[in-house]
Parts: sequence; structure tokens; C-alpha cells
Amino acid sequence: MTDWKKTAAALDPPIPEPDVEKLLPVMDALEAAFRPLQRSLTPESDVWTGPEDVA
Amino acid sequence: MTILEMADALRAKKVSSLELTNETLEKIARENPRINAFITVTADVARARASAMDAELSHGIDRGPLHGVPFAHKDLVYTKGIRTTGGSKIFKDFVPDHDADIAINLEKAGAVMVGKTNLHEFAYGITSTNPHFGAVRNPWDTDRIPGGSSGGSGAAVAAGILPFATGTDTGGSIRIPASFCGVTGLKPTFGLISKRGVMPLGWTMDHMGPITKTVHDCAVAFHAMGGTAADLKSTDIRGMRIGLPVNYYFDKLDLEVSESVRKAVQTAAALGARIVDIKVPDVDAMNVIARVLLLAEATSVHHENLVTRRTDIGADVVTLLDQGRLIRGSDYVDAQRLRRIYCREFSKLWTQVDCIFTPTTPTPAPKIGQMTMKVGSVDEDVRLATTRLMRAINVLGIPALSIPCGFTKAGLPIGLQILGAPRAEDTILRVGAAIEDATGVVGRMP
Repeated sequence: MTDWKKTAAALDPPIPEPDVEKLLPVMDALEAAFRPLQRSLTPESDVWTGPEDVA
Repeated sequence: MTILEMADALRAKKVSSLELTNETLEKIARENPRINAFITVTADVARARASAMDAELSHGIDRGPLHGVPFAHKDLVYTKGIRTTGGSKIFKDFVPDHDADIAINLEKAGAVMVGKTNLHEFAYGITSTNPHFGAVRNPWDTDRIPGGSSGGSGAAVAAGILPFATGTDTGGSIRIPASFCGVTGLKPTFGLISKRGVMPLGWTMDHMGPITKTVHDCAVAFHAMGGTAADLKSTDIRGMRIGLPVNYYFDKLDLEVSESVRKAVQTAAALGARIVDIKVPDVDAMNVIARVLLLAEATSVHHENLVTRRTDIGADVVTLLDQGRLIRGSDYVDAQRLRRIYCREFSKLWTQVDCIFTPTTPTPAPKIGQMTMKVGSVDEDVRLATTRLMRAINVLGIPALSIPCGFTKAGLPIGLQILGAPRAEDTILRVGAAIEDATGVVGRMP
């Protein structure tokens, strides 16, 4: 899992420390939901180009 | 009056555009202290424009059904010479030097702008509790939110001030106010209506659309904004295949919402539509994709202001923009790749059905300042719960219409969401009009 505190501190300018605490549970939950989806991608998976890109 | 009633009255010379405009300005003066739907009122400009529209009609120049009809723009639509705040303190004095394409289109159609409506700051939220211009209040219960981000547009139409207003929808911002305020809102197919000159929030998920009292009006306003024409002379839906999701959409709902939407399904069946049970692809997954995309895109839009004027932005929006700074570039691209997979998966449903019925929001409007709410027996975050049935539709870019389909015992409106295939606005508008005509829900006023 990502160390959000470290990431936030490394940004220019960094996210103020007291504000980072508020982000942690949300970012952790989002990452936990997103990583498994990401693992389903294959090299052939291209980006979305519009709602009619369904062929 | 609706757009179509105003159009008839203008052509029958029962009323002039100037009279309609003056009446609208009086309603704003009366209602706005109660609901705070407007940031700017353009009374003098509107009266001059209405007089010009009257002169055209008297000389036989007829621009169509919006000719002389008062309306308002959500205050993130650029209007030349008239301030456009985006609901933000940072842009409180910003005066664009050009009109947005939808402003140009509505001007060509003869509509008369009377002002700019209040919204959630930067359109980044669903409450329209704006820290800089005050909270918009729901006309059905002023202790409650109107939804957002197009909350001022929804509240103004619901209060009967205007027959229509413009809105934008990046994660439900047209449909949520439509549901909470008991009006009609259309999020068209992605890209169908030009976004040029509208403050962006999420470039690949922003949609422009109308908020109106009725579906028939919605078709008129949508066409004038740059959309396709929908023929609603016949609202015969016999044989139409309406999909009813057996998974996700009815899982966590307020009981009264569930009952009202199911009643609308029964109405459609009674009108001759065929109800088809369907299984929708993983909506939770699409909601996660939507959040990754929007967090990154919105922070891209507002990054400069976030780092240089942080204290001038509301706390809730700062939190979201900070989250966006933490999204990796590769994660954003992967979200766009996943989006294509789910879009293709969802599109297979259109071989089985012509449209899909779902609730718009899982609950009626929550109270202003409420952070969590009960959905069924579970306490949920208001923002996440309210957008749960919305976000995936912005990921897909398909058209979605929200119409009122009933009221709770406490008198709060309930919304029905009708989804269609890309560019099938005519289909969902026709089905929506049929339900509207059959239920009569739309006639009720706050």
C-alpha cells in the first residue's frame, strides 16, 4: 500500500500535515478497491475514447 | 408556466416576453431570499433582451419555442460581460470576454437570460452548500439541500421561478438536483453538447444539459442547447423493452424510493412496455474508476489555485483537490483503460433492452449540514451514498434522464433515472414523457 504521508510530504508544495491525516482513510479505501481492478488489465487494454467506443 | 405554455401564450399574444421577464424577476425577488438559488440577477439586460424578442415576434421573426422565454445559466457557463463565479471566491469578480457555446446557442434560440444560478463551489460536490455565496435551499423543505452541483438551477425551476435552467453533470450534478427538487434533468451523451466556455471540472466526464419542469420542455431545451431533436408528439411506448436491474441499483435504498420507482416500472408496463430483468456490470468498480478519474482531472483544473489560494477554497473542496494530488499518473491512465472495458461490457445490454430504469438517488434530499444518513438500516456518507447510482453513468458517457416519479410521506420528491444507449436521447425522453403523462406527478408544486 502507498505511504500517503510520505507521498504528500514529497509534493511541491507539500500537502499541509494536519490535512494529510484526513485523507488517509479515504485514500487507503480507494487504493484497496482500485488495485485489484488494475491487475485485470492486459497489455492490449487501450484507453477509453468515448461512449461509442464499443466495437 | 412551462416553456411550451409560454411559447403558446407568446404567439397568441396573451403575454409578452417583457411581461414574462418582469414576472420572473418579481419571483426571484420574492423567492430568492428563501432558497438562495441565484448568485447574479441580470434584470436590466434581461428586460432589454425581452423587449428585443417581443419586437422580433411582432415583425414575424420567430426563433422557435424558446423565443422570449426566461431562463438562467448555472454560474459556471461563461457569459460575455456578465460575471461567472463558478461558485468560487477566487472567481467572484471574473467577467468573461466571450460566451460559452451553449450561451450562444440559447441566445440564437431567443431565450432571455435573467441571471446566473448558485452551485457547489467549482461544481465539485453534491450539496450546493456554498461557503462563499451561501447554501442553496430546497424549495420543498428549506432545511434540506437541493442537491448539486447544479443546485441553484434545480431549486429555481422547482420553485416555479423559471421554466428551465442550464446544468452540468460530472458525477450526477444535473440528475441529483432533479431528483431532490422534483424536476426533470437530462445528462446527454458525452460530447453531444459543446463544453466550450464552461468552467471544467473533469474533462472526460463533464456533460452539459437542461433542467426543466417537464420532459416535454426538456426535449425543447436540449435541442436548443445543441442537442438532437426528439419527437414527443407520440409517447407510445408499447413494445419498448425496459431493463430493470436485478443487481446493485435496488440493493441499498430508502423504502419509499424503492416503492416509487417500482410503481413507475408498473406504469410503464401498463402502458405496454416490456419489462426485462437485466444484470448490470460491476457498478462499484465503475464508481471507483470514476473517483480516480475525477480526483485527478479536477486537481489538474484547479491545481494552481489550490497551491496559491488554498484558504480561499472551501474545506470540502480542498480535501478533494488534495486527494487528487495523490493520484499517480499511471493510475489515472489505467482508470481510462478500465473505463473502456466496462463501457464495452455495459454496451452489450443494449441488445437486450432499449432503456434501463433505476432510482436516481437512493434517498430523498438530506438536511443541510448533514454528513451521514441512513440508507435502509445503514449509516452512509451523504456524498458517497448520493452519488452511488450516478458516477458510473458519467464513466460510460451514456445519456440519463431523471424525472420525478413520486413523493415521500413527508412530501419530498423522488427521482426515477432512465438510462439509454449512446445518442438515444429521443428514446429516454419519449419513455420519460410517457411516464410523466401517465403519473401526473409533475403538476405538484412546493
